[in-house]
Amino acid sequence: MVVAVTNLTYLLAWAYLDPRSNYVGRRPPLSETQITNLLEPRNLDDATPLLERWWTWFSGILFRWDWGVSPTGQSVNEQVAYRMWISAELMLGATILLTAIGIALGVYSASRQYRLGDRIAQGTSIITMNIPIVVAGLGLVLLAIAFNNAVGSTVFYVTGASSPDVSGFFPTLVDTAQHIALPTAALILVGYAQYHFLQRSLLLDTIKSDYVRMARAKGLTKQQAIRKHALRTSLIPVTTQVAFSIPGIFTGAVLTESIFAWKGMGQYFIETISKNDINGVVAVAAFGAVMTAVGAILADIAVVALDPRVRVS
Amino acid sequence: MTTPVLSVRDLTVSFPSEAGRVDAVRGVSFDLDEGRTLGIVGESGSGKSVTSLAVMGLLDDNARVGGSVMFEGQELLGKTDAAMSKIRGNGIAMIFQDPLTSLTPVFSVGDQIVEALTIHDPKISRRAARDRAVELLRLVGIPRPAERMRSFPHEFSGGMRQRVVIAIAMANNPRLIIADEPTTALDVTIQAQILDLVATAQRETGAAVMMITHDMGVVAHTADDVIVMYAGRPIEQAPVDELFADTRMPYSIGLLGAIPRVDKAEKQPLVPIKGSPPLLVDLPDACPFAARCPIAVDACRTSEPELVAVGGRPDHRAACLRAEEIRAGRIDGGPVYPVPPVPTSTLETVPRELRRPTLEVENLTKSFPLTKGSFRKRKIGEVHAVKGVSFDVREGETMAIVGESGSGKTTTLLQIMDFARQDAGDIRIVGTSVADIKGGRAERDLRRDVQIVFQDPVGSLDPRMTVFDVIAEPLRTVGLAAAEVGPRVDELMDLVGLDPAHSDRFPAAFSGGQRQRIGIARALATNPKLVVLDEPVSALDVSVQAGVINLLDELKVRLGLSYLFVAHDLSVVRHIADRVAVMYLGSFVEHGDVDAVFDDPQHPYTRALLSAIPVPDPVTERGREHIVLTGDLPSPTDTITGCAFVSRCPLYQTLDEPDRARCEQTVPTLTGRTDDHVNACHFR
Amino acid sequence: MTTDSSMPDPTAGPLTAGETPPPGDAGTADRKRLSKWRLYGRRFARNRPAVAGVVIFVLLVAFAVFGSTLAKYDHVELDFLALSDPPSPEHWFGTNNAGNDLYAMVVIGLQRSLLIAVVVATGTTVLSAVIGTAAAYFGGRVERVSLFIIHFLMVAPTFLLLAMMSNDSGGDWRVIALVLILVSWFFQARTIWTLSLSLREREFVHAARYMGVPGLRIVLRHLIPNIGSLLVVNFTLGVVGAVMAETGLSFLGFGVKLPDVSLGSLIGIGASSISSSPWMFFFPAAALTLLTVSMALVADGLRDALDPTSAAGGRA
Repeated sequence: MVVAVTNLTYLLAWAYLDPRSNYVGRRPPLSETQITNLLEPRNLDDATPLLERWWTWFSGILFRWDWGVSPTGQSVNEQVAYRMWISAELMLGATILLTAIGIALGVYSASRQYRLGDRIAQGTSIITMNIPIVVAGLGLVLLAIAFNNAVGSTVFYVTGASSPDVSGFFPTLVDTAQHIALPTAALILVGYAQYHFLQRSLLLDTIKSDYVRMARAKGLTKQQAIRKHALRTSLIPVTTQVAFSIPGIFTGAVLTESIFAWKGMGQYFIETISKNDINGVVAVAAFGAVMTAVGAILADIAVVALDPRVRVS
Repeated sequence: MTTPVLSVRDLTVSFPSEAGRVDAVRGVSFDLDEGRTLGIVGESGSGKSVTSLAVMGLLDDNARVGGSVMFEGQELLGKTDAAMSKIRGNGIAMIFQDPLTSLTPVFSVGDQIVEALTIHDPKISRRAARDRAVELLRLVGIPRPAERMRSFPHEFSGGMRQRVVIAIAMANNPRLIIADEPTTALDVTIQAQILDLVATAQRETGAAVMMITHDMGVVAHTADDVIVMYAGRPIEQAPVDELFADTRMPYSIGLLGAIPRVDKAEKQPLVPIKGSPPLLVDLPDACPFAARCPIAVDACRTSEPELVAVGGRPDHRAACLRAEEIRAGRIDGGPVYPVPPVPTSTLETVPRELRRPTLEVENLTKSFPLTKGSFRKRKIGEVHAVKGVSFDVREGETMAIVGESGSGKTTTLLQIMDFARQDAGDIRIVGTSVADIKGGRAERDLRRDVQIVFQDPVGSLDPRMTVFDVIAEPLRTVGLAAAEVGPRVDELMDLVGLDPAHSDRFPAAFSGGQRQRIGIARALATNPKLVVLDEPVSALDVSVQAGVINLLDELKVRLGLSYLFVAHDLSVVRHIADRVAVMYLGSFVEHGDVDAVFDDPQHPYTRALLSAIPVPDPVTERGREHIVLTGDLPSPTDTITGCAFVSRCPLYQTLDEPDRARCEQTVPTLTGRTDDHVNACHFR
Repeated sequence: MTTDSSMPDPTAGPLTAGETPPPGDAGTADRKRLSKWRLYGRRFARNRPAVAGVVIFVLLVAFAVFGSTLAKYDHVELDFLALSDPPSPEHWFGTNNAGNDLYAMVVIGLQRSLLIAVVVATGTTVLSAVIGTAAAYFGGRVERVSLFIIHFLMVAPTFLLLAMMSNDSGGDWRVIALVLILVSWFFQARTIWTLSLSLREREFVHAARYMGVPGLRIVLRHLIPNIGSLLVVNFTLGVVGAVMAETGLSFLGFGVKLPDVSLGSLIGIGASSISSSPWMFFFPAAALTLLTVSMALVADGLRDALDPTSAAGGRA
């Protein structure tokens, strides 16, 4: 599936992006041949038959793990190699935190259904869930600037993934935390609520189920029965949902990286599209597809761990 | 006299609802002594299950409970959840209705039994708890208990899971076991096993048992004392023999009269109770049964009668003003309920051979591919759901197929409705072979002749359509002119005993019995020759069920219909059918005239099936010989070379070696002393 | 709260004769339907956040439609005397660094965002309903092909394809809407498919089939009406999703492009000068957030009102 998606993206990218147009309007104007001469060695010349271009590109990946170069000659591999970790750091951290927060809130909400705490939590969640990520990110930027001004020093950085001149383990850690806090917070703010609602409704369904009543009839108190019997079964569908939400988180990361000027995959995504960097675009697509696939596999493993019914068959 | 284990006084339970306060239980009182069994019977909504949950303290938080529940001298009502949890599972154990959902799917059965032990005795060692759990599993008849400890609930059949639930209930030697419809979700042969097991558990622990059920047969089989509940109140309370022999309250009388009997051949119509139970909201101070009672007098509607001793016996109490006038179900020398007339048909005088066949099935076979793998499905084998079934249904007759779940009876019926072409057989409907159908037009024409009524009165009607549209749908499909549809719908509503004025309502506004009548009206719309009935009454309460059965009987006679009737309830089959086939694992094991099969069952399976049904008469029931089959239905994926019944056959156990080999190796064919009554056993 | 006597109650007893006029009277069916809608309305009205959502949404629509008649400036008109001005009586929402009136731009941006959202939500709802139910009902090849496409799109980085295609279109909102439909129908289609699978096994569908009702008619008369409430909710949530996707795109510069504006592109412009002239971010962001949150509240209210088993319906 990942391979198919990557190849399809390659073909679609050629349909919509035109590296040649990068050179239009240059001063002094370049002739068609000059452009071809520039693009041809980079396997980006549309005069070469598409099939041949595709094979050069595909065999490069297949045999040398070479994802090609951008129209200006930068290696895609190099770009992706360092950007990947920046994005992974952000996405992974946010995914774990927002899932944990969502589930915790869901459990809290379900165990006090229709009471004040539940109503407040639900009301807040429905609003945060529907704040567009752009607004959430920029809103946080405004708040952080105000906060920094108030305390008189830069506690939260609103741009970049790290400061250039920091060394040593602890300074780096603190510096990373100062940078990562805001984009992660933005992703969590708009993302946790879906798990809150999902976990709440699943747990409520499970609490009403026969086996929880049976557990209570055995002599477990209501809280014990919920903790031991209801929670685990209600977690199963939530894990599957995490896998499905990875494309959404990726989109969110694209926007947050753009807002906070992180040089990650998201920012690369914008850059490659606007610069008609076909090989780069395809690498981004492959990254997204791999993340989704990894998420799906992890979710499957989690389901197998939680649910014996799947294990046997 | 010792203090009773459980003493309930004036228990009331109410819930808030959108329509107002629902008074689900309105004053239940009883004492239950050690080693005794109290049967609580009633139809759905009578408050019997709510009573049991109130005793356990397992009602929802919004329920309001009043009165008193004394268990071994302590008051249970008002205890906190923590305090109640010390008693639940320890002093009082409970067995729930649906074994498929009452075990936690993600824990092994061993862990679930061990949990029941450790929660009440935290000091017990892991090893001791494990050993005790294995012993409990052995006690409830799970083969290879030590191995099965690690199994998960989904690896067990329904009957096995209910055994595990009983093992958990027995774990801490409770003083009281509450069984809430413990066998309703199970097949009849499994029901017999489970009822035996509950009796064993009672013997082992000396506990008192509260048996909650809707089945008068189960009550007759198990109970010492009986409470009949209606509209949240006990309306009759008596020792079991007394209750059945000298029923005093019209509702109890009606309940008994509405049940078809498996052990009686007489074809008199059942006595239905008209109407349906009242809503438990804002009940007026009147007898709640008055509106349905055939002998109600004005006084019944002015105040609700108390439960008082009748006939000079302090242990027989009834809530009826006229209880003293009623003796053994009769009043003023006549029956309380007027007996409806027996419909007779001119067709009955015509010998069967001379009547036209409306359905002929020849060597019907259906197999499902068995696949493995979730990503790419590979075919690894075949499951034969139906194997070589042949029968015919003639004009004006009812053919019934009975069998337990997994027997293939419903598949047979769906194959017929699907007009499934057979490789080495045929299905002919009123003489037309399904193999000859060419094109949608011809198929639609044939569909006019055969229609179906489903089991579930809720699921079979589209909730977004009015009743008019529901009944009109088949008419429009066959292309009836719009002007004729209206009068025809009215006519059909009238035919099934519904008021045509209500046809603009949505199905949700009707009760279960009424919805089933709508389903029947829809099936009759195109004047079919054959109506296929898939468990048409099994989802209905007995008092309502009787009315629908009578309607089916009447329609058959009036319209000259043939029925193909599929059911698991042998009592209903005996009442309604002319011919019957008993199905086991995809094949007929016995086939013949209904009275011949029921009075002289030949195949060991038929015998076991018939003996497993509890008869609603304690004297007969306790005197009967019960053949309790061991084990479950084999999995359909098992390969069986000989007779499919070998693994559970009581006759096989008595055979010598060469005869056993014959059972194991040769598939028996349907043969019999007469051509009309055949069975598939080598030795019968 | 008072009880509604027309509430269909599954436990309701049998009907008594003569309550309603006999059938054939064409008015009765309509009257019944009306009372059913009244019931939904009453349940919805009980949900105060949902009512607030409707009010906010209606105000926003009114603002988008009639707002420009109040504007003193056109959204492309430049006021060189007021560059990057904060809100003032002359420019209610301030101006940007080129002198555009932000009020006029927000009105136009809201119009554009709403239009795209409604078109996309309609498109995805129709497409997902047809594909989802048809895949479930007909099974076989139809189902396999549909599911393959759905699963493929789930793995595919749709946002990237979206960005590429809409960037290529040069910011034409019609192309953006079309592409948004193409990449967002499949999640809903999958939900509808799962739901229809269980509907397909319901006995009333079998009954219709055994009556000889043709397949397409079963899908239209039985399946789709029975997922009606889901479709209504999906449509509302579709509006939210489309607005979010469109603003995301436009924010990055791949969506609607100048001189055309949408809320997303306005926020994008505002973002660059967020510390010096925050009003350029604030007004479009507020309009956008009000739009998405109000629609989500409406969706939530509709879900509860249309679902007969919902807890809110039973809350006295």
